[in-house]
Amino acid sequence: MIELLTGMLTTALLAGGVLVIGALGEVIAERAGVFNLGVEGLMALGAVAGIVAVAHGAPALLGLLCAMLVGAAFGCVFAAATVLLRANQTLCGLALTVSGSGLAAAVGQSYSGHPAASVFGTVSIPILSALPVLGRAVFSQNPLLYLIWIILPLGLHALLFRTRWGIDLRAVGEDPAAADAAGVRVLWVQFAAVVAGASLAGAAGGFLTLAYINSWSDGVTGGRGWIVIALVIFGGFKPLNLVVGALLFGLITALGFVGQARDWPVPPAVLSMLPYLATIACMIVPPLLSRRSRTHFGAPASLGMPYFREQR
Amino acid sequence: MARVATIGLPALLLSRLVSVAFALCLGGTIFALCGYNAPRLAADVVAASFGDLFGLEDLGLIWSPLILTGLAVAVALRIGLWNIGGEGQFYAGAIAATLVGLHVHAPLGAALVLMALAGFAAGAAWILVPAIARAWLAVDEIITTLLLNFVAALLVTYLCTGPLRDPANAVTAASAHIPYEIPSLLDDLHWGLAVSLGLVGVVALLYARSIWGYEVRLAGANRHAAAYAGVAVRRRIMEVFLLSGGIAGLAGMLEVAGTVHRLEGGISNNFGYVGIMVAALAGASPLAILPASLLMALLLNAGIILQSYGVSKYAVLALTGLVLLSAAVGERLAYYRPAPRLRPAA
Repeated sequence: MIELLTGMLTTALLAGGVLVIGALGEVIAERAGVFNLGVEGLMALGAVAGIVAVAHGAPALLGLLCAMLVGAAFGCVFAAATVLLRANQTLCGLALTVSGSGLAAAVGQSYSGHPAASVFGTVSIPILSALPVLGRAVFSQNPLLYLIWIILPLGLHALLFRTRWGIDLRAVGEDPAAADAAGVRVLWVQFAAVVAGASLAGAAGGFLTLAYINSWSDGVTGGRGWIVIALVIFGGFKPLNLVVGALLFGLITALGFVGQARDWPVPPAVLSMLPYLATIACMIVPPLLSRRSRTHFGAPASLGMPYFREQR
Repeated sequence: MARVATIGLPALLLSRLVSVAFALCLGGTIFALCGYNAPRLAADVVAASFGDLFGLEDLGLIWSPLILTGLAVAVALRIGLWNIGGEGQFYAGAIAATLVGLHVHAPLGAALVLMALAGFAAGAAWILVPAIARAWLAVDEIITTLLLNFVAALLVTYLCTGPLRDPANAVTAASAHIPYEIPSLLDDLHWGLAVSLGLVGVVALLYARSIWGYEVRLAGANRHAAAYAGVAVRRRIMEVFLLSGGIAGLAGMLEVAGTVHRLEGGISNNFGYVGIMVAALAGASPLAILPASLLMALLLNAGIILQSYGVSKYAVLALTGLVLLSAAVGERLAYYRPAPRLRPAA
């Protein structure tokens, strides 16, 4: 039983960590009013960039940085199309998902199936790591997990809700015309938010292949980019709520693995469906229970709408 | 440059042509930078697709499912909603058609009709939950329909490796051969293409000439105005989504009964995803589905041909995404005109 709990929590923190990084990135973009449906493609690109970098001798941390840079580069393309040229965000997001996944699969073909050349190690914290369950699952893990689960969400929360910069960003997402009138450079803020979000989506992909799965295979992102987008809605566009949601998803993913490892009388393919079904349930249950969340409670008012200054 | 409020059909068409050409040229440039002889590859692809009857038949076999998956997305787009789950509904239709084909014993015609009905119903059933959630709970349909794609793919994997696995086939995990085949129209090309084309005509008429179609378009243009005018918006959303899912399911049935003749993993061949691009390129107009799906069929066919040159099959998927991105940008740019020159006051 103890073994089971430890294993589940260890996997949950890694699987959920991927989602936390991606979801925090998506929150930045969506809070600025840009709906980036391309997370899945950015994640795939980041995942393959990380693998290619370590295959050419880079240490894992540099691989993660490469994943971020690739995410940022493609984020620039997406931002140029949606923010500067004001193209339809849904179409551009789908295009980014498809071309990103396709490009990543084409590049990754020759790396497919090989273990990553360099991966993140674990660091045991003395004394704490001797605790039952939590010791192995939390205190002798990849040190990046503390950054992902604690520092990044708190930092983003403070940035969004406690700084001038955060007010500007949120104002742009709520009412770009008002923000513009108040002197905020709307397009610049949106561009920066999209690129920052995309670099985190790339990092999520890099973390996936360098710290969690530890190899590249075709379709390794497996819809995580879409789960991230659902998670942002589920978490009410708040960084701290996301963490709770991501832990839940991590645990559900881990449950599937535990089931496979322990030979539960459920086919593995059915266990693999769990995260997707759980995501759909999480999308449907809150509005079913409360009338308030039916109108996308917490969504920025101008989400998804391009800003034309002359139409104020 | 100044932005105009509305543009006509010619401007939109021109922007589509220019953006598709731009994306293909950009893609070709990238291929050239990777060391391929891009003009020769393009010429080979055109020759292999249009040069002889075999090429045309292969093209038709890809075109037919793309017409239907594109139509499925376009049907829903008319009420302003995205059905991104064509891939999953395609799988659902294929599963249902396979089950009927393997277990029902009937004359060929009756069996095919039953399989088609089962495929349509399964596709519609696969979108039922997202449709209800969208119509009554305002749950984002893009995410719910998309996530069900993964569930459907896993279901096919489970069926093909488990209950439906053909023990005689040791090489690939697939179901047994289905004894009912759609008669051929032209050698390899089966009647599915004619069915797809006919369905496009029916849907185009339905949207252009029926009260139901008018109400759907009204609800798509402005949901609140439609509700105020007495349109049962939620019912229309349900009907449109079920029709959309059913069409994608029918595409799955035609693929099983006409082309593959058994259920296997990856049978959808990304048709569901490419269908989204078809509908987006066609601007949700049913008739424009035909050229848009032909273009995408040509691209997918090019992908198959290019594989023999050592180009990854995924490269073409990236290219289709580039076409969509370019079209989305091009559509916006079409609204810009040279600013009228200000005349100095006399």
